Amino acid sequence: MLVKNIIRALRAERGWSQAALADHLGVSRQSVNAIETGKYDPSLPLAFAIARLFEKSIEEIFDDETEAQLAAQ
Amino acid sequence: MTQQTFKSAKRRYHRVFWPLIIVYTIVVIGGSFGLKQLDPEPQWLQAVLAIACTAPVIGTLLVMMRYAEETDEYNRMVQLRSFAWGGILTVSAIFTIGFLQLFEVVGSIEVFWFGPLFFIAYGLSTHIIGGRQCS
Repeated sequence: MLVKNIIRALRAERGWSQAALADHLGVSRQSVNAIETGKYDPSLPLAFAIARLFEKSIEEIFDDETEAQLAAQ
Repeated sequence: MTQQTFKSAKRRYHRVFWPLIIVYTIVVIGGSFGLKQLDPEPQWLQAVLAIACTAPVIGTLLVMMRYAEETDEYNRMVQLRSFAWGGILTVSAIFTIGFLQLFEVVGSIEVFWFGPLFFIAYGLSTHIIGGRQCS
């Protein structure tokens, strides 16, 4: 399953570094980097934490590419 | 898991890991040097030194596992996958060399070297899976 996200853009809007976002979320900077670059899909609790932090729904932040591909077929 | 917990997990890891490595180095170097000086070498002393060398290695493995349990979810995934790849490569090497020995293709190989092989495979896996930032 491919899941894209707009975390980098949301972070940039707030002028936060990856380390600052990691502090807000309670994870390592490596985790933030891996999520932003699509190397790692966060767990549901972490996805909720990200959504709460940016005051958006999970669907607004994370885009399920597989679903989009299926819908296009 | 808070950032503070993540950071303290890393601190706890380094606080135990490096002293264990130092103890291991001292015991291995000191032990082998000491045994050379003793003539004749008592068997019981050799056994004590051998076990003394093993203890920090086992401690290191336990500390690595504790870090994997205490760190955040991404680093846990990297650590556990690296453990798995380290195990797969080491066990594969054991079986391959074991069968080569069984069929008398190769001579006797020191079992000891499978230990460092695991740590090398684990380290390389961490580097490949997590990239340089997780090494």
